[in-house]
Amino acid sequence: MVATILSLRWRTTLHSLRRDKWRILVVIAGAIWSISMVPSIFWAEYLLRLQLPDIRADAMTVIGAVIALGWVSVPLLVTGLDDTLDPTRFASVGMPARRLMPGLTVSAFLTVPAVFTLLAVALLATSWRGDAAAFAVALVGALLTVATMILSGRVAVAWAGRILTGRRSRIAAAAAALAGIALAIVIGRALLARGLESILEEDVPVLITALGTTPIAAGLAAPEFVRFDDWFSVGWRLAITAGWSVMLALAWRASVARSLVTPPTRTSGSARRDDRILFHAELADRVRSRLAAASVPLLGPVARGFARAMPSPEVRAVRSRALRYWASDPRYLAAGVGALVGPVLLFGILLPALGLPGWTAFLMPATVAMSLSWGRHNDVAYDSTALWVDVVSGRLGRRVMRGRLEALLLWATPVVVVSAVAAALVAERLDLALGLSLASLGVLGTTLGISAVLSVAMPYRAPQPGANPFGAEVGSVGAGLAAQVLSSLATAVTAPLVMLPFILAVVVHPAWSAVAAITGLALGVLGVVLGVRLSGDLYDKRSGRLLSAVV
Amino acid sequence: MRDRGYADRVNPALQLFGLRKAFGATVAVDGVDLTIPQGSFYGMVGPNGAGKTTTLSMATGLLTPDAGTVHVHGIDLWRDPDAAKPLLGVLPDGLHTFDRLTGAELISYSGLLRGLPADEVRRRRDDLLAALDLESAGRVLVTDYSAGMTKKVALACALVHAPRVLVLDEPFEAVDPVSAGAIRRILAAFVEDGGTVIMSSHVMALVERLCDRVAIVGSGRILAEGTLEEVRAGRDLEDRFVELVGDVADQRDLAWLRRS
Repeated sequence: MVATILSLRWRTTLHSLRRDKWRILVVIAGAIWSISMVPSIFWAEYLLRLQLPDIRADAMTVIGAVIALGWVSVPLLVTGLDDTLDPTRFASVGMPARRLMPGLTVSAFLTVPAVFTLLAVALLATSWRGDAAAFAVALVGALLTVATMILSGRVAVAWAGRILTGRRSRIAAAAAALAGIALAIVIGRALLARGLESILEEDVPVLITALGTTPIAAGLAAPEFVRFDDWFSVGWRLAITAGWSVMLALAWRASVARSLVTPPTRTSGSARRDDRILFHAELADRVRSRLAAASVPLLGPVARGFARAMPSPEVRAVRSRALRYWASDPRYLAAGVGALVGPVLLFGILLPALGLPGWTAFLMPATVAMSLSWGRHNDVAYDSTALWVDVVSGRLGRRVMRGRLEALLLWATPVVVVSAVAAALVAERLDLALGLSLASLGVLGTTLGISAVLSVAMPYRAPQPGANPFGAEVGSVGAGLAAQVLSSLATAVTAPLVMLPFILAVVVHPAWSAVAAITGLALGVLGVVLGVRLSGDLYDKRSGRLLSAVV
Repeated sequence: MRDRGYADRVNPALQLFGLRKAFGATVAVDGVDLTIPQGSFYGMVGPNGAGKTTTLSMATGLLTPDAGTVHVHGIDLWRDPDAAKPLLGVLPDGLHTFDRLTGAELISYSGLLRGLPADEVRRRRDDLLAALDLESAGRVLVTDYSAGMTKKVALACALVHAPRVLVLDEPFEAVDPVSAGAIRRILAAFVEDGGTVIMSSHVMALVERLCDRVAIVGSGRILAEGTLEEVRAGRDLEDRFVELVGDVADQRDLAWLRRS
């Protein structure tokens, strides 16, 4: 069974490489990067060897904890990286999870990142080779620790996907995440009050020692105790690491077993709801006719102007549909949460904990705006083949794209404004709140415009509807990479330009804040309008190619 | 200014000329010419991979042809989609729908995108849900539908704007006999009233029962085309089909499948 699953995996990889030549470049780039890392790993090993055993053990603990964090978070934040076999594919074979697991496990350990991690950690462990007994313990500890890293990545993907599919578990997870972030901010600020130096001198060593007693890094801390002949400390550290990897393997097996008998889509039960699409259309019709019939002397023309400016029914239908997806589709939820997690962790926890000056908070709203709108550079592909409904209905490109953008703006605008006001509060510069808000909205609008055009010009394969949003098989990483690089470059150029007047407000004179507000608003609106027009026209021009581009 | 009514009477409902599509080295559709007269119930049959779906995708604006033209009631679809697309009702096969919407919402969505006023959408939506026996399922998300129900709601979306030409890819697949009867009645009434239906199918008996004109497609070409009688040439449609596309070359006996 192991050989069958392994050969299956290699053959699918090989075929997708042959189908999508772009991917070969990615593999080569990954290989070059890995090889270029080798000298620095040898250098790190040399440095570690020169250290005293306790410092060496501490360093290994920190390195291990960072890599472990990477194994859990990277597959969740960067979707589409996971190229191990999707266990649900085996559902129809009728084979128990027990028989599948050995093959799945071996193939999970034979991915490029897994092999690279294993070699790197094992190489670093050779820094203990001065003492034969410690060296042996270090190697065993390194192997066990890498096993926990790889397995925790699998469990994280499986659980996160499951949490996002049920409404109740989604709400619970969101509440837990909020509580966790709040707690981290409170602890971060409490620590910060004591000053960075005392943290480095007192808390960090305590933290490292504590990490060395958890399964995350206990295996890497174990060799230090060999020189005291403290075999009890060595033993239980290796034992909890081994025990932890067994528990993770069991958890993974349980989720594979569950996914084999639980088809992905039919989870929401038979929730019944009213026709919101038509409700919104009728509501808008009523408002429009009320406005158009307004006969108050002065307000009449204004009201009629509003009635004319209201979006067309097509735009409203697309917007209602997109909002439904934002609220209920795990793929959109993962994208939205993923775009917010980075900035919140960076500015809410890391920077205050490092004690950086208050003005760094000003970077947060722009970063939030950028990551939210940059994430939409593959928006069209998220429709998958369902976009035929929009294509056969006529030449609706501009209206379809406007509806999509409005759906995002409807919830992203308040998020950006709130984070701008929060940043101004943290920096104690409420006078700059308006300028910061509008400048950040400018970044949101311009980046969204760029993303809209790219999502029509270069769509690439996204997770399919109903699939685990994190477990996307690598479809066309190459085309995806090109689109990501292009949209990142364009954003990296425009975003600082939009923020420039606000930077001047901080650095030169607060009066620039008013300029930042005006240019931010103007550029944001311009970005959205231009984005809708260009992407909409392109949508119509490419309508006969979009379907084949997104699958 | 040409007389629109006269042009309508003269022009075929759908005219495909020299349609061609290649995916890499594989030629899926290799020069298809078809003329589908108004008021006909047209069946398109062919083996798996013959190019039926590719042809219908190009005929409905979903796939850009490498070469060739598509005219709907005399209007070039790929040059003037604004005028041609409202005439077409489309039911593709094997594609997703916006399945986070309920059945009722999906029909409303299609109606609104087709530019119908909201009160008209409500009336037609309720009629369609009733006619296709989807009333109780109207408030359930499409993702929770069975394959047959998804097919029915997609057909409702194709009908909601009252098109002149219906292009249906495998409309009866996975649909139960009662619903199939309902769909047949709707389509028959549509054709009787001057509308045109083009459908692809694997089920010869169904095509013989419903269609008055048939095209047999194989390897991306039209192998035979005409009225049902012409194509059948006095025989069973299925025999004629197997004769044209060729039977399985190696009819091997799977002896190990037998119990005794």
